[in-house]
Amino acid sequence: MSEMANPDLEGIDGVRMTWNVWPRTKVEASKCVIPLAASISPIRPHPDIPTLPYAPLRCKTCSAILNCFSRVDFTAKIWICPFCYQRNHFPHHYSMISETNLPGELYPQFTTVQYTLPQNPDPNNNNPSSGSSPVFVFVLDTCMIEEEMGFVKSALKQAIGLLPDNALVGFVSFGTQAQVHELGFSDMSKVYVFRGTKEISKEQVLEQLGLGGGGGRRNTGPGGGFPKAAAAPLQNGFPTPNSGVTRFLLPASECEYTLNSLLDELQTDQWHVQPGYRASRCTGVALSVAAGLLGACFPGTGARIIALVGGPCTEGPGTIVSKDLSEPVRSHKDLDKDAAPYYKKAVKFYDSLAKQLVSQGHVLDLFASALDQVGVAEMKVAVERSGGLVVLSESFGHSVFKDSFKRLFEDGEQSLGLSFNGTLEINCSKDIKIQGIIGPCTSLEKKGPNVADTVYGEGNSVAWKMCGLEKSTCLTVFFDLSPSERSNTPGTMNQQLYLQFLTSYENPEGKMFLRVTTITRRWIDSSVSSEELVQGFDQETAAVVMARLTSFKMETEEGFDATRWLDRSLIRLCSKFGDYRKDDPSSFTLNPCFSLFPQFMFNLRRSQFIQVFNNSPDETAYFRMLLNRENITNAAVMIQPSLISYSFDTMPQPALLDVASISADRILLLDSYFSVVIFHGLTIAQWRNMGYQNQPEHVAFAQLLQAPRSDAQMIIRDRFPVPRLVVCDQHGSQARFLLAKLNPSATYNSAHDMAAGTDVIFTDDVSLQVFFEHLQRLAVQS
Amino acid sequence: LDPKALPRPLDGDVEPKSFAEMYPLNCSSRYLRLTTTAIPNSQSLVSRWHLPLGAVVCPLAEPPDGEEVPIVNFASSIIRCRRCRTYVNPYVTFTDAGRKWRCNICSLLNDVPGEYFAPLDATGRRMDLDQRPELTKGSVEFVAPTEYMVRPPMPPLYFFLIDVSVSAIRSGMIEVVAQTIRSCLDELPGFPRTQIGFITYDSAIHFYNMKSSLTQPQMMVVSDLDDLFVPLPDDLLVNLSESKNVVETFLDSLPSMFQDNVNVESAFGPALKAAFMVMSQLGGKLLIFQNTLPSLGVGRLKLRGDDLRVYGTDKEHALRIAEDPFYKQMAADFTKFQIAVDVFAFSDKYTDIASLGTLAKYTGGQVCYYPNFQSAIHGEKLKHELARDLTRETAWESVMRVRCGKGIRFSSYHGNFMLRSTDLLALPAVDCDKAFAMQLSLEETLLTNQTVFFQVALLYTASCGERRIRVHTAAAPVVADLGEMYRQADTGAIVSLFSRLAIEKTLSSKLEDARNALQLRMVKALKEYRNLYAVQHRLGARMIYPESLKFLVLYGLALCKSIPLRGGYADSQLDERCAAGYTMMSLPVKKLLNLLYPSLIRVDEYLLKPSSQVDEFKEIKRLPLAAESLDSRGLYIYDDGFRLVIWFGRMLSPDIAINLLGSEFAAELSRVILGEHDNEMSRKLMRLINKLRENDRSSFQLCHLVRQGEQPREGFFLLANLVEDQIGGTSGYVDWVLQIHRQVQQNA
Ligand SMILES: [Zn+2]
Ligand SMILES: [Zn+2]
Repeated sequence: MSEMANPDLEGIDGVRMTWNVWPRTKVEASKCVIPLAASISPIRPHPDIPTLPYAPLRCKTCSAILNCFSRVDFTAKIWICPFCYQRNHFPHHYSMISETNLPGELYPQFTTVQYTLPQNPDPNNNNPSSGSSPVFVFVLDTCMIEEEMGFVKSALKQAIGLLPDNALVGFVSFGTQAQVHELGFSDMSKVYVFRGTKEISKEQVLEQLGLGGGGGRRNTGPGGGFPKAAAAPLQNGFPTPNSGVTRFLLPASECEYTLNSLLDELQTDQWHVQPGYRASRCTGVALSVAAGLLGACFPGTGARIIALVGGPCTEGPGTIVSKDLSEPVRSHKDLDKDAAPYYKKAVKFYDSLAKQLVSQGHVLDLFASALDQVGVAEMKVAVERSGGLVVLSESFGHSVFKDSFKRLFEDGEQSLGLSFNGTLEINCSKDIKIQGIIGPCTSLEKKGPNVADTVYGEGNSVAWKMCGLEKSTCLTVFFDLSPSERSNTPGTMNQQLYLQFLTSYENPEGKMFLRVTTITRRWIDSSVSSEELVQGFDQETAAVVMARLTSFKMETEEGFDATRWLDRSLIRLCSKFGDYRKDDPSSFTLNPCFSLFPQFMFNLRRSQFIQVFNNSPDETAYFRMLLNRENITNAAVMIQPSLISYSFDTMPQPALLDVASISADRILLLDSYFSVVIFHGLTIAQWRNMGYQNQPEHVAFAQLLQAPRSDAQMIIRDRFPVPRLVVCDQHGSQARFLLAKLNPSATYNSAHDMAAGTDVIFTDDVSLQVFFEHLQRLAVQS
Repeated sequence: LDPKALPRPLDGDVEPKSFAEMYPLNCSSRYLRLTTTAIPNSQSLVSRWHLPLGAVVCPLAEPPDGEEVPIVNFASSIIRCRRCRTYVNPYVTFTDAGRKWRCNICSLLNDVPGEYFAPLDATGRRMDLDQRPELTKGSVEFVAPTEYMVRPPMPPLYFFLIDVSVSAIRSGMIEVVAQTIRSCLDELPGFPRTQIGFITYDSAIHFYNMKSSLTQPQMMVVSDLDDLFVPLPDDLLVNLSESKNVVETFLDSLPSMFQDNVNVESAFGPALKAAFMVMSQLGGKLLIFQNTLPSLGVGRLKLRGDDLRVYGTDKEHALRIAEDPFYKQMAADFTKFQIAVDVFAFSDKYTDIASLGTLAKYTGGQVCYYPNFQSAIHGEKLKHELARDLTRETAWESVMRVRCGKGIRFSSYHGNFMLRSTDLLALPAVDCDKAFAMQLSLEETLLTNQTVFFQVALLYTASCGERRIRVHTAAAPVVADLGEMYRQADTGAIVSLFSRLAIEKTLSSKLEDARNALQLRMVKALKEYRNLYAVQHRLGARMIYPESLKFLVLYGLALCKSIPLRGGYADSQLDERCAAGYTMMSLPVKKLLNLLYPSLIRVDEYLLKPSSQVDEFKEIKRLPLAAESLDSRGLYIYDDGFRLVIWFGRMLSPDIAINLLGSEFAAELSRVILGEHDNEMSRKLMRLINKLRENDRSSFQLCHLVRQGEQPREGFFLLANLVEDQIGGTSGYVDWVLQIHRQVQQNA
């Protein structure tokens, strides 16, 4: 029963918090059950955000940035930092300010401003061409059947055609071995081949590619002929490390032809695969090599490794399963029982790859298309920590892949706004501690007084790296309060708390920005009254944060019982904030600010995030990565899909997420984020099959059929990854995509209650109603 | 002693005629030569003979037109002796109305299989004799049925391993190699089965994917030298006819592809292993083009320094053998997998030919050394010799065994091959330019039979894909008379064996010891011969030798002065010495004799003669190889079969020089390349040179122009090779004869 989301709940700031007023003490905060957390979209565009073409002013003590909450003494030309109360003198160029002549950052409505920064002065990068060029290294699996290879090749060709002329492109293919294509070699197609079975250090990659730089015994040049065309910078006759740019990474405009003919001739992996065995696929080595190449050519400059993977890594580092087909890829059960022999080693490998990528500032995007698992679960760490994108589909011919992949390279309205080199810093008022961030980033381990002892996600820091981030990137920050006894003198007590998010990043055009969002919230003494606290509760955000936190705990805490933990949290929450007489379930009511939350929890309990055994570890990892990086509205849909009903009588309207919503004369549109289902009731389907929509007298029917389609297209257009569109009919085989998401109010246990034209869900799940009954009973227990 | 009267082989190799006269059914001497056609019947004769007792075999020697070896295809299995496996040959005898045949080697009476049966005529000859080449010819080739195969016959396979480091590029070698291979593609034997592949290397190994469906080859670089691997399962080795376009594209690109390479390293050992990995499934010929000392990875070699101080010590020989066991091990692996290695080396610096040559030595290959290669000067030679290597008929995956009659056996083999068992020579590839020498020993103290038989059998795969056995059979009389042995001696075969033995000795001893050993054997032999006659005749101080051995002393001298054996440290570069050693180990008799005692002819008078009869240069007389032969008014050609030196006398008529050299007649001759000018004299000279080259196409004689007195060029190219002269401490012919004679008479 999700509402049609208000598109701008997040306002100019892109911040949503579980609690919009904060209890004063750690003890009170812990009684609130739902943690203090903020979901932030660090570079979400908003038309009202001003761009300031100058450098920000920083507090000389805490280095927080001047903002609209700073108290300003215009005569003394002094501003007081709201975080540390330091009095700062305005510099000379601010001497003209007055109450009527404010700089942008002091306008009260501009809680978020964006500063343009000078170009990244990276001393390591002396290549003039790179500065503002996006860099893409495609890493293509070649262990595929010809048909899949054809799909992925045409997707790649299309992508290359969409790249801006100045984009620098590199190409790595892999199968039994990994091959780096020297695109700048003009005489013939040339690759550097790496053994697939062996872990390879960054130094070895460089040495073998001839990028080792001067000094070594091979200081006379790259193994295997210099490209003639390369205007390789020579110093004292030796090529500098950056000659790799002209050899392996070329502007799209220069290498499009080469790449296209390369793709035309590229063969599937030529090594024989014995019957009963998996192809030998060295995904790990290929990614290491790509990372090494970028590390040599563009350290500190934004670049993406785009991996297109068609199966599991079976060779060398990062292997997730043996080649013997009789041994299945690990399941959740195997992971649970510690019966996945490759898992930990693979994760460790991808963890070290993640570290390398982050230290270089590079992103790993993963496009996995296969019927079986490919190792998303193991690779997750590298994708997520580097801020990469992930798309999982069953075929490179499927629209989920094709359309998503294309989106990556589109610009204008459609652009994902791929940005690079993001750094997030958080300033906050005294006594607020940061526990960590769940989402696509890496802790920079930058210590500060606001770092909490307990850690959720990427913690132990007040700064995080996001090698890659998009317009839609979202992070969840967890806060705690200082356990220290607070001063009881109300006069000195500040009524407001402040949080400041500083995000520096490089936009797709290569321009550097610093986004500063400063928000304030009120402290309240919840031990006196919880009324205000209740009003400040954001149910949707709370539900999403609980989903993220539960997923995190399931991944990191051994033996964590998610359902039990969620149930107990919900019961505690209801006990604290519900209105009831003790031990009288019938007396229980919830304030509207909480009333949607139990249903969210009901659906969360049944969701793919908690019921992992219904999915593969790859799928779970995939779902969770998207849960963690999407905004609250979209994440809420993943937990609790939206259902819209279309009929002749009424305007499209939200329907209960319940089998009871199925009716023969309705069309339902289900959005569960990963899939969008158009479900035709039996009668509608029959009419359609008879072609009524083509008859002029049945325009209304045609319109009815069209409406959910148009709405589905709206949803699909704005989403990345592109969701799977399922169009089905009642009782059709595809109908399971809808039924799986519905509340089993009518199961085969209660079939006798069923009204005509409805459906029965074959499930043992408890219904929402039963769930509520239990909740009420337990919440009121003394 | 009159120097002019001393015997000189001015007519080249003189083969003893007795071999064929006595046994007309014998195979031609181009295939098999015995050091003496009279086989001693006792051990004591053998020990008194002193010269090597053995044979030189050139199983695939090129026959003149009309004398090709007939091919015999038995419908069923090949007729062989049940006991000793001898192949049926002209010396077997049929009995029992044609139902039995007696083996000429072991005397066993064998059944004649039904399908081979033919009745005998009144004289006991088979009625079908004139349709049976195997019963009438000493040389025949049997088509082998499947029991002679351990796998399907391999296709001809040529794999090229090419150095592309900076020195290789600068020398111009790559361009010549690429162009030559390209020009030979249509002539490689074995179309349409022929396979081809390439690897290039510097500090990394570059494989080439030549899949026929590609529009251009794909270069695949592997830099992990310590853990080498093959980057593709197939297509590194492709069918030439299918992938011809890709191969041509590759060869066209090859020179320019690396022209800016500045890599000085050579990962030769790893490249060799890479080639092995690619080739090992099929076998074939591996042609290596190496320009630098291997410097990276396994098999890297160091500058051993041809140290003056080592000469004369017991460490001297170590310089002439492979230092790293890697090379011999690789050679053994290559042979095992039917791979023959030809090494083409080009460096202007030390490249350790001793080590590299090991690869050719044990695989039946050859070493071609072009020191300080510069394509402008040496390109033509490389082009011809590489083309010869690629286009000559080659026998693949072969083994050779020489059988002989009861009581004698071959006890040692000398040449480029690997022994697979005590008497089986493994020859992954063999061709008409390769000869093998072997020594005989008596197993019994006394041979009772009148005749012994020899049978050479080479089992191989022909380029057309047929498995064949080439069989050469010969008979020789057994004698009880030492004098007869001497009279029937074959100097050419003896010198061939001597050369190989002496070169082998340099691998374990000092050069001086090797020369002394040679000299001692000659002295002993001549002394023995002298003793035979000393009693009957009053010889006095006269020197006597059998007519058959009249050139032996001179060839002995020439051998001592040949590059592998000559002098000491300064007398030839170590690499050149080793290369010449490897080459001489496999030369056929005629070619070796010509190298030891090259021809020297005077041509200025011939050029001036107005007549233009095509064959008149046959009248040009060869001259003794001595400075005395050179008239400073003349123009001479020195021809050792590997190069031509054209010597311009100081007083040569300027007309001749201008006619032959055009505007460059006065230039420094090291920079002048002889070409045809538009005048009769020049054309005549070029015709003559071409004729000399046609005499022997196994190598290409590059012309080196030398002007009298232009040092060190004249010394290096010509004077040092005038074997009759006394040069740098060595004996001249006269001194040598006197010295030998003195030693022969001592304690006579
Ligand atoms: Zn401050
Ligand atoms: Zn026999």
